[in-house]
Amino acid sequence: MTVFKARPEAPSWLGVRALGFIAVLCVACSDGKPKPVDPPPGAGADVRARLLSAAGECILGTARDFLPRAAALQAATAALRDAPDAAAQAAARTAFHEAMDVWQVMEAMQVGPAAPRGSPGGAEIRDNIHSFPLYNRCSLEEQIVSKGYESASFPSSLVTRRGFLALEYLLFYEGAETACGPNSAIVAQGTWAALSVDERAARKRAYAAVVGADVHVRARALVDAWAPEGGNFLKTLAMAGSGNKVFPTAQVALNAMSDALFYVEREGKDQKLARPLALRDCASDICPELLESQFAGRSKQNLHLNLVGFRRIMDGCGPDFTGTGFDDVLAAAGAEGVATRMRQQVVEAESALAAVEEEDLRQALARDKASVMTVYNGFKGITDLLKTDFITTLDLEPPAGLEGDND
Amino acid sequence: MTDAAGGGSGAFQRPVARMWAWLLVPRDIAALVAFRVALGLLITVSAVRFLAYGWVGALFVQPRFRFTYWGVGWVPVLPGPWMPTLFVVLGVLGALLMIGLFYRATVVLLFTVFAYVQLFDVTNYLNHYYLVSLLLALMCFVPAHRAFSVDAWRRPALRRDWLPAWCTVLLRFQVAVVYVFAGLAKVTTDWLVHAQPLNIWLAARTGLPWVGPLLEQRWVAYAAAWGGMLFDSTIVLFLLWRRTRPFAYVVVLGFHAVTFVLFPIGMFPFIMVTAALVFFDPSWPRALAARVRLLPAAVRPSVAGEGAPPAAPGWKGRMALGAALAYAFLQVALPLRTHAYGGNVLWHEQGMRFSWRVMTREKNGSATFMVRDSVTGRQWHVPPSQYLTRLQEREMAVQPDLILQLAHRIARDFETATHHPMEVRADARVSLNGRMSEPLVDPSVDLAKEEDGLGPKAWILPAPEGPPVHLRPTRGGGPGA
Repeated sequence: MTVFKARPEAPSWLGVRALGFIAVLCVACSDGKPKPVDPPPGAGADVRARLLSAAGECILGTARDFLPRAAALQAATAALRDAPDAAAQAAARTAFHEAMDVWQVMEAMQVGPAAPRGSPGGAEIRDNIHSFPLYNRCSLEEQIVSKGYESASFPSSLVTRRGFLALEYLLFYEGAETACGPNSAIVAQGTWAALSVDERAARKRAYAAVVGADVHVRARALVDAWAPEGGNFLKTLAMAGSGNKVFPTAQVALNAMSDALFYVEREGKDQKLARPLALRDCASDICPELLESQFAGRSKQNLHLNLVGFRRIMDGCGPDFTGTGFDDVLAAAGAEGVATRMRQQVVEAESALAAVEEEDLRQALARDKASVMTVYNGFKGITDLLKTDFITTLDLEPPAGLEGDND
Repeated sequence: MTDAAGGGSGAFQRPVARMWAWLLVPRDIAALVAFRVALGLLITVSAVRFLAYGWVGALFVQPRFRFTYWGVGWVPVLPGPWMPTLFVVLGVLGALLMIGLFYRATVVLLFTVFAYVQLFDVTNYLNHYYLVSLLLALMCFVPAHRAFSVDAWRRPALRRDWLPAWCTVLLRFQVAVVYVFAGLAKVTTDWLVHAQPLNIWLAARTGLPWVGPLLEQRWVAYAAAWGGMLFDSTIVLFLLWRRTRPFAYVVVLGFHAVTFVLFPIGMFPFIMVTAALVFFDPSWPRALAARVRLLPAAVRPSVAGEGAPPAAPGWKGRMALGAALAYAFLQVALPLRTHAYGGNVLWHEQGMRFSWRVMTREKNGSATFMVRDSVTGRQWHVPPSQYLTRLQEREMAVQPDLILQLAHRIARDFETATHHPMEVRADARVSLNGRMSEPLVDPSVDLAKEEDGLGPKAWILPAPEGPPVHLRPTRGGGPGA
């Protein structure tokens, strides 16, 4: 007995019926409007590949910009430790600002080595340089008392004890009180109070020098990971596709880049703005203590630079955001409208930031909360577009690896 | 057969008797055994995948909030650490089903555990696992362990070479429902006139090796859209017809292979390829085995007279038939229920689940919950990420009933903290098939006061009008692609 008994003859009436059915449906569904004209062959060729290549160059370029500033920061903090005076302190603070300014541009570029370990190619370098919103002032003060920064294992200690947030406290905060509660050993045992003002200041300087050196090491690691002469992640990103173990398809690479852009939502809108504005996690009318830059007073500047980094990936990394960006992919795909709306929304957010008259959001929250709320709305406008039109049009961000059949 | 027919006139009795005869005629058990083995294998592989890829943690352990299906919120939650164990159990049960050991207990337990896993969180809903749940439910009534099983080996009294035809009919009906409704769901303007969302998906996959350049062509999206609709809506007919069946199955294999390559739909193609086997001749495994010389030719068992239908099926038989008809009615009614709501089901999602609308939308949303203290007037903004995982957030943001569930939870949490009544509104914007994003729910409605239910939800705003975006291919997925 066999299942495949005989080759059935093709029933001609079936084909005729199918063709007739298709014809009827075509006629029924025709909207009578002129059909969109396809672009000429070659237009928009390899624009996704060009974006990946350009974004990689942009990230490496920004990391390279950061490296000398991290070196300068290391030198300045070491100089401050060795010869503490007002000039050295000012120089260290200036070096901090200059390094931080470049880093804030990098924040929206957490792709590959800078990204969390769960991301493709992720090596967590970002969190080791700037752990925001993870921050714990008490643990810094415990380090000051214990001199934990002198330990050989310090570079592998919790990220909240290292990086820019630690540096900012150590370089800018001059108060004598501790943020630790009565249950903390340094309060309960009186070891914090037992430190003299000079000793505390000296330890802060020594701690800052160690953190400055650590930041420099991480900055070099980031450049090495991206550079062609090093780990060459530049090539890994640019060569996304079959055979690439990190980015087996271009879509996975584009997803990683769009994940990085979501910094403006996770950290920008929800952490740097919503919490200080008391829209969440705040019991008072405002919570300036939840701003990103507690002691250096750069929270407004940081947000502006986050948008600069965002635009470098979205619009292009060249002067005035020229060059290949996601907007070119959108335009090549015929979704210029999404690119235009995204650009308008970013400009609106930047304008809202520029309209905040105060130097920092701390003062703005107290004097003109509405102006900060406008900034929040500007950021929300960007993230609403990111999570809807942008993602939909480019078919980005399906949760990694999970299967689906509903969309 | 008069009793079985339930009395009545002779004109009525004859077709009823014929129906009974048709349902009870003995058929070779081999195909159902093969189906049992394949289904068990698929379940085991699925369970292993979930464990190996860490999906158990991502989907069942990490979430702090659980979306429940309406009416079954009472299902108890197994503590997170037990979920991996549950998947190990699933894998083992799948293997037991495959070899046919403790069949009855295995299949009942398997259905229970599998259905429990599906009920755990609405955001995990997938059409193909819903199908597996239904097939397992049906298998509880199909004694597919009477041959080629450890049970039959251990207990010779169980052995039988045939099963009544209704066993196959039930499974065929179920698979037919999936294909036909999946096809009908594609008869929409978006799908047929705009080739959306296929246009979006294919334009994003032009970097694939070999087929990538083809996907640059717009006509491919249209061909895929029309082909997909025609395939889904007609394949059952071709599978039912003996002369076209082998060719139709080759088309099934090709179609699902293509979808497997192009889309991240995991086990779906394998499940459908397996499920479509129920349309083959009941002796196909024996014929195949003979063809590859594993069995001698002419191995089809003689079933004539062996399992002759009882002359008068008793009340049990009539009850079973009634239950089967009720099940069939439910399976047809569930996908059709959305028409009672009107509007675009892909937008409002009322009647979307359990309706076999497979791969018919590309939808993304952004939702923020605005909470207002009714007493003090103070306002908060709650991002869903405060409660949900990324996957949950993605699903919730486009499904109004899930937005409502989270709104209720947020209201409860704030009321617990403040001891004041809270108003919760949602600013939810959704993009459907590439259209510009539009508000999904009325932002002026206090969702804390709205109740979920089967009735239409007046607070869902109408779907955006106008065509979706027409994407052009952007060519190339990277130098290495």
